[in-house]
Amino acid sequence: MTEKPIQGERKMFLTGNEVVAWAALAAKVDIMYGYPITPQNEIMHYWTRMAPKYGKKFLQTEDELSAGFTTIGGVLAGKKAFTATAGPGNTLMQEPISMAEMMRIPTVVVIQQRGGPSTATVIYSQQEVTMTTYGGNGEGFRVVYSTATHQELFDYTIKAFNTAWKYRFPTFVLGDGYQAKMRESLHIYDPEEKGIKLVEPTPTLSRPGQIGVNREPNHIRNTYNTEEELYQIVMGYAKEYAEISPEIIEFQEQDVDDAEIVIVSHGVVSRAALAATQELRKAGYKVGYFRPITLRPFPTERMRAVAANTKKLLVVESALGQLNKLVLNEIYGLTTPIETLLKPGVGVTSEEIVTRIKSLL
Amino acid sequence: MGKTAKIALAGEGGQGVQSVAEILAEAAYEEGREAIYIPNFGVEQRGGVSIAYLQISDQPIGSPKFQKADIVVALSDRAVIRTQRYVDERTTFVYDTSIEGVEEHLPKNAGRVFGIPAIEVSKTELHPRVFNIIIMGAVIRATEVVTLDEAKTAIEKKLGYKFDENPKLREMNYQALEAGIALVEKAL
Repeated sequence: MTEKPIQGERKMFLTGNEVVAWAALAAKVDIMYGYPITPQNEIMHYWTRMAPKYGKKFLQTEDELSAGFTTIGGVLAGKKAFTATAGPGNTLMQEPISMAEMMRIPTVVVIQQRGGPSTATVIYSQQEVTMTTYGGNGEGFRVVYSTATHQELFDYTIKAFNTAWKYRFPTFVLGDGYQAKMRESLHIYDPEEKGIKLVEPTPTLSRPGQIGVNREPNHIRNTYNTEEELYQIVMGYAKEYAEISPEIIEFQEQDVDDAEIVIVSHGVVSRAALAATQELRKAGYKVGYFRPITLRPFPTERMRAVAANTKKLLVVESALGQLNKLVLNEIYGLTTPIETLLKPGVGVTSEEIVTRIKSLL
Repeated sequence: MGKTAKIALAGEGGQGVQSVAEILAEAAYEEGREAIYIPNFGVEQRGGVSIAYLQISDQPIGSPKFQKADIVVALSDRAVIRTQRYVDERTTFVYDTSIEGVEEHLPKNAGRVFGIPAIEVSKTELHPRVFNIIIMGAVIRATEVVTLDEAKTAIEKKLGYKFDENPKLREMNYQALEAGIALVEKAL
């Protein structure tokens, strides 16, 4: 029972869903709650196959609303808990995650985006960006890591638990159907052996001691009586979120300094963008590459600097402008023109980006 | 970017194209190369055309799907039609000769088109169960992306537990692999 799931560092060839299950084990997760939906089902399958060997638990709920709320319950009890979903399941998940946002409950949700709206395709898209960054009836007080490779899926799933428990904002790992289903190689490892300190979970409810005798009450609320009271709370969260954002923000860039055009993309599409950038650079084109890894909080400062320093941006995504909307919002006031290559629910290849860039330069 | 071998395998559900792609990807990975394998998948539980996208390279690979393949293997009439979009003048297009009435649908723009009697060989000389391993041999010969030894090791890894129960199966799978290689050599 006490044996470590991963000893040392190991190279493996896995599907993305397997990677998430391994990462959750590596992050010392206690329990997964879930409801099946393609393309994330195998996260549950692998978790239920592996987790019992290490004394970990799983509960299948009746839907995603319940999966989200039971995840919250697990966290309140002091367990590292997570769930995973996609598409219409993500839509339902926004209700419990809004509650987590309000009550500052460190939930972790892995999303493997599929096509939308509604049932659409079970395959792939980047159409859950708006919902994952700003979904629910709130202000988007959450952290969203958009991964591009299996290595990142492993690294950021581990990191998501630390981020959630450290800052107590709901944290998402935003993957997609391609990442879920494809096989590629990565190194899995025990984070603690690498010097990554895992944040210890603590119970929110039923803490030891007696209220009024040797501890204060821990009153977490999601209901407020007056507008002013709510305003104060929300503005307090906003201030805190802004303060911690610089510690959380991550991005990746290449060749932006002298670029005449910079490709902006996220997630799996950025693989194609990076390949296109490298190919075009070899052919003598002054192309750069910029990729927000955290879509919330967004790397605004760097995005603005990159946009201000180039002649044009090309936003590429498998959605009809969900990343573009974020970019536009963040660079408001700059006059750098934005071109787009938007393919809702469809993969983007490096060839398409190369062709597009050549037509723009 | 280094040269990446892009392979699309398409057939009817149950013909085993996904297993072939998975074993080939595993073999390439074991050789220390970069490999990405992704199945296409729809809402149907069975039936329909099944396509496997496989890329093998010496460098990190970009997007998991691609526009044009270096080699397309199509194993049914619907698969021949579905895979035309992955063909350009650099593509080698391989189809099974037992598919009837497909001649007019064979791509005109492919670099090279040839048929192999894999289904027939599997039925008459080996066993229908190893049909997909014949196809795997054909892909190995046509692309030379992995060595025969690595392919055998990867088959062992995937099917070894079955071979332990029935060692004859191992022999039959190896024969199928070599039969696939021979079919392509004959057709080239």
